[in-house]
Formats: sequence, C-alpha cells, structure tokens
Amino acid sequence: MMRLALLLVFVCCFTLATQLAPVFASLQAKGGRSGSPLLVLLGDSRRLFANQFFVMADVYFHSGYYPTIFDARKKEGPSHLDVAEQEEGDTAKSGRKVLEDDEKFMGTPRDWIERFGRNFFPSVHTHLQGESAREIMPWLKLSAEMDPHRINTYVTTSYWLRTRLDKAGEAEQFLRQGLRANPDSHEILLELGRVCFYNKNNPQVARSLWELALQKWRQQDQAGENPDPHVRQEILGELVRDDQQSGNLKQLLADLQELEKATPMKGTLDKEIQDVKARLAH
Amino acid sequence: MNNVLALAGVVIKELYRRKDFYVLFILTALITMVLGSVKFFNDDRIVRYLKDACLLLIWISSLVIAVTTTARQLPAERESRTIFPLLAKPVSRAQLIAGKFLGCWLACGLALIVFYFFFGVITASREHAWPLGVYFQALWLHWICLGIVVALVLLGSVVFTAPSSNATICFIIVVGIMFCGGHLNGVAVHMGGLSGNILYAVYYSIPHLEWYDVRDFVIHDWGVISWAAWAGATLYGLLYCAFLLGAAWLVFRRKTLTV
Repeated sequence: MMRLALLLVFVCCFTLATQLAPVFASLQAKGGRSGSPLLVLLGDSRRLFANQFFVMADVYFHSGYYPTIFDARKKEGPSHLDVAEQEEGDTAKSGRKVLEDDEKFMGTPRDWIERFGRNFFPSVHTHLQGESAREIMPWLKLSAEMDPHRINTYVTTSYWLRTRLDKAGEAEQFLRQGLRANPDSHEILLELGRVCFYNKNNPQVARSLWELALQKWRQQDQAGENPDPHVRQEILGELVRDDQQSGNLKQLLADLQELEKATPMKGTLDKEIQDVKARLAH
Repeated sequence: MNNVLALAGVVIKELYRRKDFYVLFILTALITMVLGSVKFFNDDRIVRYLKDACLLLIWISSLVIAVTTTARQLPAERESRTIFPLLAKPVSRAQLIAGKFLGCWLACGLALIVFYFFFGVITASREHAWPLGVYFQALWLHWICLGIVVALVLLGSVVFTAPSSNATICFIIVVGIMFCGGHLNGVAVHMGGLSGNILYAVYYSIPHLEWYDVRDFVIHDWGVISWAAWAGATLYGLLYCAFLLGAAWLVFRRKTLTV
C-alpha cells in the first residue's frame, strides 16, 4: 500500500513538472529575465554590484593604486576609464587635470606607520598600457551582466576592445547585446557606428547608425528626457568626418551647420562652412 | 627546546589528520579552476582576475585554518584532561604555550606552501612566468601575519572560556584590523579631541596586519617589495608574536586548569 502511495505521489510530481515547466519558461521569456541563478538571487540589488564591478575595472586599470573609502576624494569625477577614453578627443586637457587632482589623494604620510605601510601597497599612479588593458575586461563584462541597462559599461568596453585589443568583432557583438537591452540608446548606436567606420571600414553602415543615433537623440530631446548634448556633438562630428571622407559637399554643409548650432563655442566652424560654400559655388 | 618541538610535532600531525585543510584546499582549487575556465571576449591571456580570486581564497582559507586550529588547542587539552599528564612530564606552562604556538605556526606554513604552489601553477599556466622573489615575499609576509594571528588566538584561548567565542572575536579583530587598521590615524585626526587621541593610541597599539597583505603586488605584477621594508615587517611581526605569547603565558601561568 505504502509503495503504491509513493508511486502515486511520484506520478503526480512528474505530471506537474510536464505542465509547469513550459509555463515557467514562457514567464521568463515574457519578463525578459536571464535564467542565471546569480541574477535571480541578487534581484535589483545587482545594480549596486554593477557599479562596484565598474569601479573594480578602474582599480585594475590603475594596477591597484586606488583611493579607499577612507581616502579623501575632492569631488565626484568621471572614472579614469572614461577619462582615458576621452583623451583621444577634445577633452584631453580636462581629463588629464582630473588625473593630476586625484594623484595626490594619499597626501603626505601622517606618521611612521603610514610611511612604512606604503611599502606594502602600490603607491604610484600608472595606467595599463597597450594590450595589458585586457585585464579590465572581466570586470566590465560582469558589470554589464549585473546591470544590462548601464549604457556606459557597453560604450567603455567597446572603446577598449576596438582601440587597444584589436577586437572589433567582440566589440560589435557586445554593443549589439547592449542595444538589445537598450534599443533607444543613442550612445550605443554612436559607438557601434565607430566600430563600423574605424575598424570594419564600412562607412555606409556607420552613417546609417549615426543617423539613427541622431534621430533617437532628437526623439529623447523632444520627449523632455534631457539627453547629453555632448553626445549630439559627437554624433554630428562623426557625420561631418564621414562627409569629408566621402566628398559629399552638400551633406557636409548641412551637417556642419547643424554642428555649428549644437556646439557651445559659436563661430569655431565659420571658416570651414565658408570654405565648403565656396567649393559648392565652383 | 625538545619539549617544545615535540608539542609542535603533535599539532602538525593533528593538522594533516583533520579534514579542515583538505576541504579548504579542494574548495579553493575548485573555485579557482571554475573561474579559470571562463573566457572573456575570446581572450585566454586575461589572468589578473584569476590571481585576485585565488589569493583571496588562500587568505580566507589560511585565516580559517590558523584561527580554528589554534583556538581548540588549549581548551581541548583541558577538556580531555590530557593537559595534566602533559604538564607533569615535566613540561612547563611556558613550553606548552611555545610548543602550541610553534606547532600551529608551522602547520600554517606548510598549508601556505601547498596553497602558494597551487597558485604559482595556475598563474604560470597563463602567464608562463614564475616570479619567485615576489611569491617568496608574499608567502613569507603572509606566514608572519599568521604568526601574529596564532599568537593572538592563543592569548584569546587563555582569556575566553569557549573556543567558539574566542575564534569569533579573533576573526572580527583580524578582519577589522586588515580593513581599517591602516586608516585609524586619518579618522583620529578628523575626530580630534580626547576621542581622537584615544583612537590614535589604539592605532599605534594594534598589530598592523594590513602590511602583510601584499596581494596587489602579486596580482598587478609590481615586482618585489623593498627588502628593507620586508625585513622591517618581519621584525615587527616577530616582536608582536613575542609580546602576545608573553601575555598569554602571564595569564596562563596563574590560571586554574580544572574545568
């Protein structure tokens, strides 16, 4: 009798499993949630971990030389990963300023214990050079896993993958993963366009992506979401570069005029606009 | 000296007869190998995250071994009443403390050699390098740190009655010092006044265990630490061990041993 009852319970479990498994699978698909046990376990608190992992990438970028919670930081600035990324562009000077400000976070030692203790942890400000930047990748990947809506993680990771590690394919794949999670992100579209333009030598696709990015930026601006105006300038800057490369003067003039409106430093593009107008008149 | 070495030998035998070390080593190896099997962006030369995780596990495991092994030494002898024939040998109370300390410290050293060898093999499989100088310094400083911890726990085992409370309190103290010990002076300066002065006194009094954690040098390939600093830290650690053992002996020599 007992055996029969056990058999009955087992059959019930089996039947329930066949019924419930597809239901749970469809629920997961609807919610767009990953089945990773870690993500399920952490819930929304994983966003905190995402920030922490991004900071860890910055720690590795400095080879362990990084302020602790006890060290005074003058102000909340951008991560050095972002700063180093900006060094290629116009903001190089301000980026270096942040590095110089932070460099002295330890100050002079207060006593002999502190002075002696500095022998046992990295106390020189350095950045990972060349391909050794690969060491920050696990933390960036983890950060994106923890918070798929943290757009900065995708853009930063792609920058390091395509410029230092010569992994444009992986950068594109990672950005597309980010785009699936954030379909309206103009920042990811801008970076994806850069991968196509600078690394894959595919200016047509890059242009389409930048135009889409600009369109998304305008939509967000009209919806009152206050998108970063600097990103708009960057998108327009890339479009201008593409126009210059393709020799499409009409489009170049239009893009330059829009960039002129977007840039805070009025008049800086006047000479270039006049030059294009003159070339068009000939 | 023979008595001390004989006592130390018994403690070392206890370590390899018990399962603690094997469990912790297998756990460390397993977690490290699982992490090592993960590939990020098709790059199999990424190694620092693996070194970081492996060294963290080694530190946790070694602290667990040091604290739990040491915390049960004297209470177990008292509970099973083997301490009476031991002290009647004749083994003095000072020799008992010294023997237990030496045994636990050497046992931790043996465990560390196995852990660091595993770490070296895992790292070499990716980096194809054996920076022996750095590994030696890291292992040595780690061992000196465990010496201070073992001496602290021995002192705790003659002060506190239960091994569990001793182990818990010692864990909290050790972890607290490792995280905050080096920053107490900064906090004291900000506090100011009498409380600031008291905190500054605490800062000077505690053993600065954070010096012995040179994982960043190993993980980020900073090379060897200044040998003068290494020697200074060794001397500081040995002096602290002597102080804590002396304090343990002072308490233990007047302690009644009946349970």
